[in-house]
Amino acid sequence: MALPPLPKNAPFSAEDLAFLNQLVQRSTPLQRSWLSGFLAGLDAAQGGAGAAAAVQAVAQRPRVPLTILYGSESGNAEALAYKAKKLAGKLNCDAKVVDMGDIDVAALAKSKNLAVYISTWGEGDPPQRAVDFYKDLMSDAAPRLDGVKYAVLALGDTAYVNFCETGKKIDARLTELGATRIHDRIDLDLDFAKQAAAWTDALLEKFSPAVEAPSATVVHVDFKGVSADDEPAEPLYTAEDPAEAEVSALVNLNGSGSTRETYHVELAVEADGFTYEPGAAIGVLPENDPALAAEVARAVGLDGDASLVLKIAKGYDITTLSRATVDAFANLTGRTDVATLTDAEALAKFSADRQLVDLLATYPEKLTAEQLLGLLRPLPGRLYSVASSIKAHPGEAHLLVGAVRWESHGRKRGGVASTYFADRRKVGDKVRIYVKPNRHYALPADGNRPIIMIGAGTGVAPYRGFIEDRVETGAAGKSWLFFGERNYTNDFLYQLEWQEHLASGALTKIDVAFSRDQPEKIYVQHRLWEQRQGILAWLDDGAHLYVCGDEKGMAKDVDNTLVKILAEPLKGDEEAGRAKLKELTKAGRYQRDVY
Amino acid sequence: MTERAKNEIVKEKSRLLRGGIAEGLTHVETGAIEEDDTMLLKFHGSYMQDDRDVRAERTKKKLEKAFSFMIRLRLPGGVVTPGQWLKLDDIAGTYANGTLRLTTRATFQYHGVIKSNLKRTMQAINAACIDTIAACGDVNRNVMSASHPFLSKAHKEAEKLAIAFSDHLLPRTGAYHEIWLDDQKVIDTSPATPESEPIYGPLYLPRKFKTVIAVPPDNDVDIFAHCLGYIAIVEKGEVVGWNVTVGGGMGMTHGETDTFPRTADMMGFCTPEQAIDVGEKVVTVQRDWGNRAVRKNARLKYTVERVGIDAFRAEVEKRCGFKLGAPRPYSFTSTGDPIGWRQTLDGKPADKKWHLTLYVENGRVKDTATVKMRTALREIAQAGGVDFVVTSNQNLVIANVTAKMKPKIEALLEKHGVVIGTSSGLRRNAMACVALPTCALALAESERFLPGLVTDLEDILDKAGLREEDIVIRMTGCPNGCARPYLAEIGFVGRSPGLYNLYLGAAFDGTRLSKIYAQDVNREQILALLEPIIKRYAKERTAGEHFGNFVVRAGIVAATTAGNNFHENVVLAKV
Repeated sequence: MALPPLPKNAPFSAEDLAFLNQLVQRSTPLQRSWLSGFLAGLDAAQGGAGAAAAVQAVAQRPRVPLTILYGSESGNAEALAYKAKKLAGKLNCDAKVVDMGDIDVAALAKSKNLAVYISTWGEGDPPQRAVDFYKDLMSDAAPRLDGVKYAVLALGDTAYVNFCETGKKIDARLTELGATRIHDRIDLDLDFAKQAAAWTDALLEKFSPAVEAPSATVVHVDFKGVSADDEPAEPLYTAEDPAEAEVSALVNLNGSGSTRETYHVELAVEADGFTYEPGAAIGVLPENDPALAAEVARAVGLDGDASLVLKIAKGYDITTLSRATVDAFANLTGRTDVATLTDAEALAKFSADRQLVDLLATYPEKLTAEQLLGLLRPLPGRLYSVASSIKAHPGEAHLLVGAVRWESHGRKRGGVASTYFADRRKVGDKVRIYVKPNRHYALPADGNRPIIMIGAGTGVAPYRGFIEDRVETGAAGKSWLFFGERNYTNDFLYQLEWQEHLASGALTKIDVAFSRDQPEKIYVQHRLWEQRQGILAWLDDGAHLYVCGDEKGMAKDVDNTLVKILAEPLKGDEEAGRAKLKELTKAGRYQRDVY
Repeated sequence: MTERAKNEIVKEKSRLLRGGIAEGLTHVETGAIEEDDTMLLKFHGSYMQDDRDVRAERTKKKLEKAFSFMIRLRLPGGVVTPGQWLKLDDIAGTYANGTLRLTTRATFQYHGVIKSNLKRTMQAINAACIDTIAACGDVNRNVMSASHPFLSKAHKEAEKLAIAFSDHLLPRTGAYHEIWLDDQKVIDTSPATPESEPIYGPLYLPRKFKTVIAVPPDNDVDIFAHCLGYIAIVEKGEVVGWNVTVGGGMGMTHGETDTFPRTADMMGFCTPEQAIDVGEKVVTVQRDWGNRAVRKNARLKYTVERVGIDAFRAEVEKRCGFKLGAPRPYSFTSTGDPIGWRQTLDGKPADKKWHLTLYVENGRVKDTATVKMRTALREIAQAGGVDFVVTSNQNLVIANVTAKMKPKIEALLEKHGVVIGTSSGLRRNAMACVALPTCALALAESERFLPGLVTDLEDILDKAGLREEDIVIRMTGCPNGCARPYLAEIGFVGRSPGLYNLYLGAAFDGTRLSKIYAQDVNREQILALLEPIIKRYAKERTAGEHFGNFVVRAGIVAATTAGNNFHENVVLAKV
């Protein structure tokens, strides 16, 4: 068996590292044992007391057990948890990372030290996979946690009223249950990276104070190695360090006369090592509509400042209206009428379907560029489920982008990223993207497994990638697509491709639900119910279930229908059906990518 | 075995019109059905079409063609009750494109029904006690009778014959009920099917077959344009029998002179009791003698042309077991509809009802921003107490109106912007087929083009003082001739987008075909060609002389005396 290589951050040049790796790889245990003794002795003989002491201290201190618990929707909290684990390893911790979706609340009582990374999504809800854990934690049946030391890092989005709600609740509940907060909770917005790193450093310092030592000589190497499916590989391109892509195709897939506007976007990426798995998300760093940016500037009397407008358009979030912004604006201007808005109820009322520009236009004040920028947070990236397989399209990522447009309070509005593609990008233009792996939404490792794919609207995107990937890998497993949209004639996304896949056998079955073609609304869950016998048979054959799309509009109903379907052979016992679905979730056979 | 047209093989394999239609409906990944099944579907009253306006964009959008289905009703006699009207109107809004299309063969068509709604639309039509069996296909299609049955006793007799003949020649296969109405008949896959077709046989007819019934002096049904025609011979208000015509038809193929429109021949006279029998035998002779190898020469008109009317008559008489009488005198005056109010022709004055013939441009019942005809008609139907009759000129009669209700109907129409009269005599006699975007055969616009062209021509007519003159003008998007353009005094047949062949010289009463006058002309050229002729007509016409007769007398075109000289004596105008 190959030995793990020396860590890349070992204090050697790349050349030396390669040399050492070669040497270590072909060494025998006896040789390694001799060498370690020799090197230790060498330092001691040279009088390197400090280093020797450090080695000794590390060796003698008992390793600190640490449970890193995360609840993640988009993968951010998960990524932070794994980063923390890496760091903890270096700091003499025995850290293990646990997904809330995989742990029983009762097990928490056994953990001495607990670091929680938890995101909030939607209107203050826990991430889906964490819902059961969260419920159990909040219930009377939750265990006492006396003696547990903990800290919570909460992720959220200030654009939503209940910012970091889940993190706050978990923090409070842990205290209630007798656990001791050893580090203050931090609530982080979408630009969390730097602050999260600092918080983790500080927390680990409390759990396992570092020993004064030349840090470079204290190296923890996890000799057990890291298995690939345990820890997700960190993508090369991140929101902080995106890849440049060129738009190579941009087509509105909806037919003329459709009520929808859904763009198929092909991005060509030349960046080295750019890759993704089907089921992953591609993050896009969009730019605002310059007209809106200009309007924001105009509202505060800065309309002449073209460079400011450009700056806002490119880098600042101007399409949300957060409490933080209202607070800051009230403080900055000293306006009492704005201050009254900071009351929770008043804010909820005013911010409903309003954006920054509404605030600035309703309460006009002259600001300096600096003051204006001070009110704003950086423009966050937007995630799209990738609609392609990189095996089928080397160097490309395809996205399916539904243009979001609406009107509120007398203004026409548009989703930042969706209209970025729909209105402000054309073929040949550049965009900045990054990869967001999603190991909770992936094809079965076994290509022979049947898959049942359920998606409405842009929720069909990952399945295009799935099928393309299976074609490329020659996977023999059956596949069944349930697709829903509004109208057959104009909204059947990728219709010709599905026809080809059916003809070639790459796709085994398809069922469609078009809600507006007939008087009664037909949705995917109705088709699922009609096809329940087939679905049960496929599940008996080991099928994996996938759901992608809008949570409120579809995924919830699909979930309930799946429970009913699973309950049917169990005399309609929905509790049992629900339990069955949970089993499938635990087994990784019911995966959801919903938004 | 002699060579057979492809359709013949499809019919033969179809297990009496079943084919793979039922299976095709279950393939949700496509809005289409298999090509062979599209041929069979016609027998069920439906054509597969696609929106040709959007064809170009579809592939790029990864969408197949925008397929949908046209559904045509079988409505012998053309009458619907207010209750039926409301149901048909609902269907238009729920499953079709929001319009009701009155056709040149006096029935309704829906456009834009998608595959997933096809079955439920059929069922909804059935719930209105109407069906679509044999509305298209190689069978006796919808039987038109002189509009309208409430006008006189003879007109009622014409309607009765239309219904009886249509029913008599209905296909007997259970396929329709099985596929569309969930009639739980087990599909027998063994070669012998349980039902049989005693009149048609398993191959049905070689081509479509059209039957009409006229009551002189109106030739609104265009009797000579159809395979089989009955002309009522009325004595003292009673129908004493029918003159029977055979071998008329419009369709031809551009550039192929062995295809041509043909006016029907007079075959003889039969009594009312013999009428259905005679018609059935005409059908069976065509079944056996028609051309099943070359589809474009398969209609009855080519059979009659080939064997001659005498041989054809002799065979019909042989099969009937009796001789036909000599045709009785009759005379036609026009092919158009009298737009406006008129009263029942016979009966006691106190019983006479009012009937309003409403001009429906292109037969399209719809709501526009200013004219809400669909809404007006729905409200009239809701008020009830009338009947609706579709005419063969794709107009609508609101029939059986009491004197008391007459002003109410007028008020309802006015409220929704519907004008009873027309802007000119030309428009009153204008008729266009559907063509683009739905019709697969269309080579050029028709329904969307003719109204504007008529407006342009009205300016010319104004200058010539002819605005109120009745002139029959018709347009079709292809040479098949659904709007019977070869029997129009001014006829247009689409050649390619924006270009038409111009035909002149048909008789106003529908007895003589036209002659081609100019080829591949566009809007400007059409106007430039017609303006001097219209001016000349205004100056040189004799009293009561119709435009079609004038252009022949003036030598502008030669008269087409029969279908077989339609392509002869052609002198094309220079453009």
